Amino acid sequence: MASRSIAERSTLYIRPEFENTGLGVAAIGEVERPLSLIERISEIDPVRKFSVLVGIVVIWQLYTVIGNVPELMFPTFSSTAAALIDAFVNEGLLFNIWNSISILLIGYTIGIAIAAVLVVLGVTTRFGADLLTTLTAMLNPLPAIALLPMAMIWFGLNNQAIIFTLLHSIVWPVALNTHTGFQSVSETLRMVGRNYGLRGLPYICKVLIPAALPSILTGLRIGWAFAWRTLIAAELIFGGSVLGASGKNAGGLGWVIFQNQMDLRISYVFAGLFAVILVGLIIENGIFRNVEDRTVKRWGMQR
Amino acid sequence: MADVATRTAGKAPAVHAPEPILDVSGVTLQYKTKEHLITATYRVGFKVFKSDRFVLLGPSGCGKSTLLKGVAGYLKPVEGQMRLKGQVIREPGPDRVMVFQEFDQLLPWKTVKQNITFALINGGKCANRREADEIAMQYIRKVKLERFEDTFPHMLSGGMKQRVAIARGMAMEPDILLMDEPFAALDALTRRQMQDELLQLWEDTKFTVLFVTHSIEEAVIVGSRILILSPHPGQVKAELNAHEYSHANIGSDGFAALQRRIHAMIFADRVLEDELAVPHG
Repeated sequence: MASRSIAERSTLYIRPEFENTGLGVAAIGEVERPLSLIERISEIDPVRKFSVLVGIVVIWQLYTVIGNVPELMFPTFSSTAAALIDAFVNEGLLFNIWNSISILLIGYTIGIAIAAVLVVLGVTTRFGADLLTTLTAMLNPLPAIALLPMAMIWFGLNNQAIIFTLLHSIVWPVALNTHTGFQSVSETLRMVGRNYGLRGLPYICKVLIPAALPSILTGLRIGWAFAWRTLIAAELIFGGSVLGASGKNAGGLGWVIFQNQMDLRISYVFAGLFAVILVGLIIENGIFRNVEDRTVKRWGMQR
Repeated sequence: MADVATRTAGKAPAVHAPEPILDVSGVTLQYKTKEHLITATYRVGFKVFKSDRFVLLGPSGCGKSTLLKGVAGYLKPVEGQMRLKGQVIREPGPDRVMVFQEFDQLLPWKTVKQNITFALINGGKCANRREADEIAMQYIRKVKLERFEDTFPHMLSGGMKQRVAIARGMAMEPDILLMDEPFAALDALTRRQMQDELLQLWEDTKFTVLFVTHSIEEAVIVGSRILILSPHPGQVKAELNAHEYSHANIGSDGFAALQRRIHAMIFADRVLEDELAVPHG
């Protein structure tokens, strides 16, 4: 022991000690400085994203105008924008959007109810859990739109067929994510809930659901996105048969796109695609982002 | 009952033995892992009286946390009984509030104050929100967090989170407060401060607490009586008094002697265990 400590001491380089008294602020110079206007603007997230958008639009317009691309292949941005405004103002595009969204809402509500039943079964019984995991593993990779041909035979060319396919795209992601969320609620939180005498439904509502909310929201989000895509695709296949009506505003957004393509009004097809994107963005950022900011982000459960 | 009373009188030469708050007798606890059935404690018995700071101390694997979970009602004994004020413990309930080691014991979707009112209202302690708010604030002041009443738990430091958990437990005014290594995940300086604060709170309200730790020093500082458990499975090794010791006399001879005595008891098992382990491979 003694010889080792001497050896250690000989390998150590002993240096004099020191303490700092601290430099004056004047010597350091810049300690705190307000950012310039440009620096501050570039910190704002929407501003940066919007400038990307503006860039894309400029390139699009330049490419179609300078390259003399035929309107039938790729309309200019300006004619697409004009078509979009015309569709909103004169052709009642809002009615078509509402038709799509109302079908989606019906499907979404029924889908969540089915998912809730499956999850409650999965949480309470072992058979339910096996059923849920097997069904989701099997059916989740199957694109909902692939069920449409069968749905058309079973239900006919009507909304029920579309809602059936929507259900398929909503139920599995919602059920799977909610179930995973419940399972990953920490043992400590569960014990805390039971400690204060919570049992059964109050326990699920007051402890499990808020604790699993990040996963539940993810499920709802994925379910919504899948359903929106499936809906537009289904409307494209059905063409004008939706609702069995012939009026211009009888169908959904997909139908508008389909119809305009038949009429070779390509700038209106682009306008329809734009409307699909717009609705997606509004629901994603207006609803889901908002709910997240007010709940899981505020609670520090998600960044 | 009379039999129990005489036995206690024989064991502890007290002036008169009062009724225990918690009476654990001959409790064997088992739990299942994926491959094994594990006996955590074997015929453990002890009594906790009013205002005791009763510490369960032992090395890992002595079943002290399992024992605490049993008292909390999360686990049923396969043998023996646990009685709280004479009533057999069957399930978790707000008359025995648990403070956990993990920081995630606070509900992240509730503020500091809401975490306490949630417990008060769901635990049946308060009928209306106003009454619950009042009690919650009273205990938030006790743990010196009045500036943070509307803060969500993720904004708090580890020590502050544990303070909220302790305030929540104390606000329920349970018959017995169960603490499962509540300071184990804190840094050494914060831990010492929290031990002091806990003792001050005890001076205030003289609550009864069952405290689990694996730190001998913490046991001697926090505890008024220490139950030492031997491991694999947990069995009672000794019950010692530590009511005279706190941070104030941490360097004293008595403190050091008690610490050494406990150390020797626990270490004796350890050596034996190591020797047994060698031929096994």
